[in-house]
Amino acid sequence: MLNFNTPIIGTKEYSEIKISEIEPILKINLRGKNRNFITKIGKELSIITPVDPNTSSSNERLNLLWLSPDEWFLYSNDKIDLKDANLLEDKLFNEISKPKLGSVTNISDHWIMINLNGAKVFELLSAGCPFNFNNFKNSKGTVTQTLLNHIDVIIHNKNFNDLNLFVRRSFSAHLWSWLNDSARFI
Amino acid sequence: MFLINCPYCGERDQSEFTAGGEAHIVRPKQPTELSDNQWAEFLFMRKNIKGVQFERWNHTHGCRKWFNMVRDTSNDKIYAVYKMGEKPPIK
Repeated sequence: MLNFNTPIIGTKEYSEIKISEIEPILKINLRGKNRNFITKIGKELSIITPVDPNTSSSNERLNLLWLSPDEWFLYSNDKIDLKDANLLEDKLFNEISKPKLGSVTNISDHWIMINLNGAKVFELLSAGCPFNFNNFKNSKGTVTQTLLNHIDVIIHNKNFNDLNLFVRRSFSAHLWSWLNDSARFI
Repeated sequence: MFLINCPYCGERDQSEFTAGGEAHIVRPKQPTELSDNQWAEFLFMRKNIKGVQFERWNHTHGCRKWFNMVRDTSNDKIYAVYKMGEKPPIK
C-alpha cells in the first residue's frame, strides 16, 4: 500500500511571511488540443478555460491554471475528501478521456501545495528563483512554472501577496526546509 | 547567463531551458537504403559553428515545449525564436 501521507506537517510564521502546507487538495492534470476539449472543460467545471499564457481562472470551488498550450492544472480552493476527488476525476474521465477529447490524470498525491502569505513573499522567492516577479506580483491570477532553489515549481498568484506554490512530493521536504531557512533571513 | 523569449511563456532566464542541438535536420525518407556512413552522418554528426546557428531548445522548467532559435554562439545574441514547424524568419 502506498503511503500518501504528506512529508510536511505544519505552518511556520516569520516576519511578514507565513508558510503553510495545505493538504489534501484535489489536483487534476488536463491535456488536450482541440477546441471541443477546451469547451468541454468549461462546461463540466463551470469555469472559463484560460487560453492566454501564464493566466488562470477560478470559481468558488476550483482553480484552473494554464501550463502550456495543451495542458492545464486544476486544483480545489479548499481541502477536499479524496472520495470527492475521485468522483470529479471519474466525471471528467467519462466526459473527456472516454470520447478521446484529451487526457485526465489525478495528480493529487503527485504535487504538494504550500501557501505563502505576507508582504515579503516575493523577497523570499527572489532569493532562489530566476523568474522576474515585477509584473507577476501586480496581476492577480497569474501563473508561472519556474525553478525555486533548482526545484521545479508552479506558482499561482491567487491574491496580492497570497501565493499557492506547488512542488513535487519527492522534493517538497527539501523545498520546505529551504523556504524556512531563507525566510529567517528576510 | 542570458534571457530567452519562449514563444509560449514569454521572456525567461536561460537556466529554465535546455539546448537540443542543431535544428532543421531532416530524417531520410528511406533509412534502409542508406549506407552506414550516411546513416551515421544523419544520426550523430552536428555542426558546431562559432557564429550564427539554428538550434532547437526546450523550455524544460516551464511549458516543456520545443522551439527553434537563431543564436550567435560567440556572444549568445538571439536573432529569432520561432515555433516548431515554422520556417526560419531569417536566412
